[in-house]
Amino acid sequence: MATQNTTGPAQPGLHPDDGPTRAAAAGHEHPTGRPHQDRRHTRAAPDGSAGAGDRLWTLLMLPGSLWMTAFLIGSLALVATLAFGTTDPLGNPRFGLNPENFAALAEPAYRAVMLRSLGYALLTCVICLVVAYPVAYAIALYGGRFKTLLIAAIVVPFFANYLVRMYGWSVVLSDDGPLLGVLRAIGLAGDGTRILQTAPGVVAGLVYGFIVFMIIPLYAALERMDVSLIEAGRDLYGGPLRTFFHVTLPATRQGAAAGCVLVFLPAMGDFVSAQLMGGPDQIMIGNLIQDKFFQGQNWPLGSALTMLMMAVLFLGMLGYLRRTRKDEAEAVR
Amino acid sequence: MTPVTTTTTTTAAGPATGLAPAVRLDDVCKRYGDSHAVRDLSLDIAPGEFFSLLGPSGCGKTTSLRMIGGFTDPSDGAILLGGKDVTALPPNKRDVNTVFQSYALFDHLSVSDNVAFGLKRRGVDRAGIRERVAMMLERVQLTELADRKPTTLSGGQRQRVALARALVNRPQVLLLDEPLAALDLKLRRQMQVELKQIQREIGITFVFVTHDQDEALTMSDRMAVLNDGRMQQCGTPEDVYERPANSFVASFMGTSNMVPGTYRDGAVVMDEGPALPVGPRQGIAENSRVNLAIRPEKIWLSDLAPGMARVTGVVRETVYSGPTTTYLIELTPGVTVSVLEQNTDRSRMEDRWSGGEDVEVGWLPEHCLVLN
Amino acid sequence: MTTSSAAPRRTRRGTDRKPRFAIAVTAAFFALLYLPIGVVVLFSFNSQRSLTVFKDFSLRWYTAFFQDPVLLESLGMSLRVATVAMAGSLILGVTLALGLVRCRNRLGSLAGLVMLVPLVTPEIVTGVAAMLLFKGMQIPLSTGTVMLAEITFSISYVTVILRSRIAALNPEVEEAAMDLGATRWQSLRLVTLPALLPSILASAVLIFALVFDDFVLAYFTTGVDPQPLPVRIYSAIRFGVKPTINAVGTLMLVGSIALIALALFIPRLFGRRGGLDLLSGK
Repeated sequence: MATQNTTGPAQPGLHPDDGPTRAAAAGHEHPTGRPHQDRRHTRAAPDGSAGAGDRLWTLLMLPGSLWMTAFLIGSLALVATLAFGTTDPLGNPRFGLNPENFAALAEPAYRAVMLRSLGYALLTCVICLVVAYPVAYAIALYGGRFKTLLIAAIVVPFFANYLVRMYGWSVVLSDDGPLLGVLRAIGLAGDGTRILQTAPGVVAGLVYGFIVFMIIPLYAALERMDVSLIEAGRDLYGGPLRTFFHVTLPATRQGAAAGCVLVFLPAMGDFVSAQLMGGPDQIMIGNLIQDKFFQGQNWPLGSALTMLMMAVLFLGMLGYLRRTRKDEAEAVR
Repeated sequence: MTPVTTTTTTTAAGPATGLAPAVRLDDVCKRYGDSHAVRDLSLDIAPGEFFSLLGPSGCGKTTSLRMIGGFTDPSDGAILLGGKDVTALPPNKRDVNTVFQSYALFDHLSVSDNVAFGLKRRGVDRAGIRERVAMMLERVQLTELADRKPTTLSGGQRQRVALARALVNRPQVLLLDEPLAALDLKLRRQMQVELKQIQREIGITFVFVTHDQDEALTMSDRMAVLNDGRMQQCGTPEDVYERPANSFVASFMGTSNMVPGTYRDGAVVMDEGPALPVGPRQGIAENSRVNLAIRPEKIWLSDLAPGMARVTGVVRETVYSGPTTTYLIELTPGVTVSVLEQNTDRSRMEDRWSGGEDVEVGWLPEHCLVLN
Repeated sequence: MTTSSAAPRRTRRGTDRKPRFAIAVTAAFFALLYLPIGVVVLFSFNSQRSLTVFKDFSLRWYTAFFQDPVLLESLGMSLRVATVAMAGSLILGVTLALGLVRCRNRLGSLAGLVMLVPLVTPEIVTGVAAMLLFKGMQIPLSTGTVMLAEITFSISYVTVILRSRIAALNPEVEEAAMDLGATRWQSLRLVTLPALLPSILASAVLIFALVFDDFVLAYFTTGVDPQPLPVRIYSAIRFGVKPTINAVGTLMLVGSIALIALALFIPRLFGRRGGLDLLSGK
């Protein structure tokens, strides 16, 4: 008996080494005998198995996505449409097609509020970064077995009611509150120094409101970072400050960028902080929108303001996405 | 494509003549976009057989198994179980059960509820379920762990639960997707023996996917070697090991030396060396380029017998590994063979060949293969 | 490189010298984080109206709260809204997450994008949009409209949390169920949903707390009477603080902190480690 047991067509030019390379190209079966973890995802991906399944999954997806589309996309489209509308003499909104509202937004008064909001939100991001970095750094690298507990201790209070927290913060910052009391006692503040009713007060409110969104991604990034990098940095650069700027910061840049987006978004739309901590000279775009819909009853103008804010945020998001794409491309290289 | 010769091998394999094969793959293909995971696979597996699908990763063995189980639809061809076409049936309508590589146990159910799962779906009555589950757990020695959750079990125990959960349904065919891959070596050897025992006892057809040729050789009645989506050879372990159909099978099934040359007058003429007699070979054209394949343990280093093919070489490396010693011997520049010697004779310890020495090697012509 | 089991002074993760600056900032941060909450809690027990001088311990503001029919009505409404939003967003969100993970067609990726919109939109925008939608459809603002808006907003959270859990499931487990004779639907019900139960419960608790505490969306979509508790708190803060608000605030703090702690530790109740991974979904 010779070698006729072979089935299938003859194999000219068989190279035993082909297996792994071809498999990698085809991507459907993984190095066997490895932990199954990495195997299952890729395998589930191209497969889809029985075609009947897809129908069930589509069916399951339908109620939720229809709901979201109807309420969310529908309502946002309504805002966009009404932004081109007008109000009749009775103050009722009318649909239309005129750019008047947007022209109105170019007026200096609105422009000032817009720029102020942008400035406050950006400043909030910067302060959050400056505060959150040391906090996340200390917890991630020196938290030891209390790490999770410490992070939970930061996150849990942030789920407490936003208004109650902001209200408590405004009491702390108030003219005869504990913070100014301490500052006066150590001579850092004079008798007339105020925090409430000032721009720093509003920014302090925003920082207090949203800093958790900066700490979490930074903490995650620092946790993932290889500590030997820092040690190597110490060898290379010496001082802790130079090590931080040369090693730690670049390694956690993506976490910082994500944190900035997460802080910038709600800070830009906030109207509570300006109301509780600020005065008439500190109103933000959120306050204007609120005013147009509740007191002023100019819905089309409010809609236009909303759209303008969305546009600014959209540009910010776009910048963030381009940034991360570039980072990822560099990481691949 | 070329018609298939499996029928002859099937009848050769067992007493199944006349019965419909337990599994038949008929020209099965699986494509993902432009790439083929499996092409033109035709196979008959006889009832009661322990059949292995063997090959390197990416060869299509798992895809083939998944198509038999119904988890992946073939792009082409038909799948028959016990003579019935099941190509279009979903997994729950096929009389086949699977032991998954990850075991895929239901972590929220106890061990006995895991095992009872299939019976419940099939509407077996309560008393029947209890009895069969108890018997099955007894068989795989898990009776004491019946109420435990799978997450609290060891790897070997989880493996047994997976096996029991599948076997309790008494399927026509049991599919096993590298079931032992996650176990450590010792447990693996033990489970190999146990699996084989269970299979012999209950007589269910096993289709066993593995990338480990030793496992396939020791466990299977018959096996198919796959590479790059195509079947390379199908036969008994002895067939496949002793008479590999091509260079891929020869080198995949353990170490094999390849000596390139030209086939002429019943001998392979080395490019810069002597003619090595191999006897007349069918299907090899005169003056064609061939590889002479010879296993390391079939090459002799001393006491060469008459009638052997002989060639002189230089010892380049001596690797002592307990019961055996491996020599790497350069026959002609660029052509090196490895030779495996049993370390049986203590007196020879001293005169083991060392690097640089000239040595004559030889083998019996019937032990070598001539591969295109 | 320095992997140093030889250097005993080094902590397991970290370098040899503790960064005093970072630790000082952290300490100050924790102090300022808890100070406002502490103030609210402290003065809720004050016998006087003052927010600066603590006189005597007293429960008078709690008594006042429980005797205030308007606030109690608001509490009831907030609880109802949170319950309905939790149930609604769970049903829609879990099914959506299942579909999104398994459905690999164009419809699936489109739905995935729509689902992300609330997460990248400030709440004021969603609030304004929801209010316009209800007004445009001539639906009078009421408890019902708050519920609808909150459901819409919460679906995204449920889906984001569940999606990563579902993607981490071993697909072979569902295949095993079908292999053992279950239909696709049965394997979903008998195997997949039980495996997801801890995450589903955790997100339920989380959603309840988020909706109960939510102010902005409720503010834009509620009618005049009744109003959800956070909206009442807002009016109270803006137009003259009554110390009752301290008591309400304290009760809400205790409630939501308990709920969040529960959500974080639910997975541990099911014998799984690292329940805090919910945080990464945020």
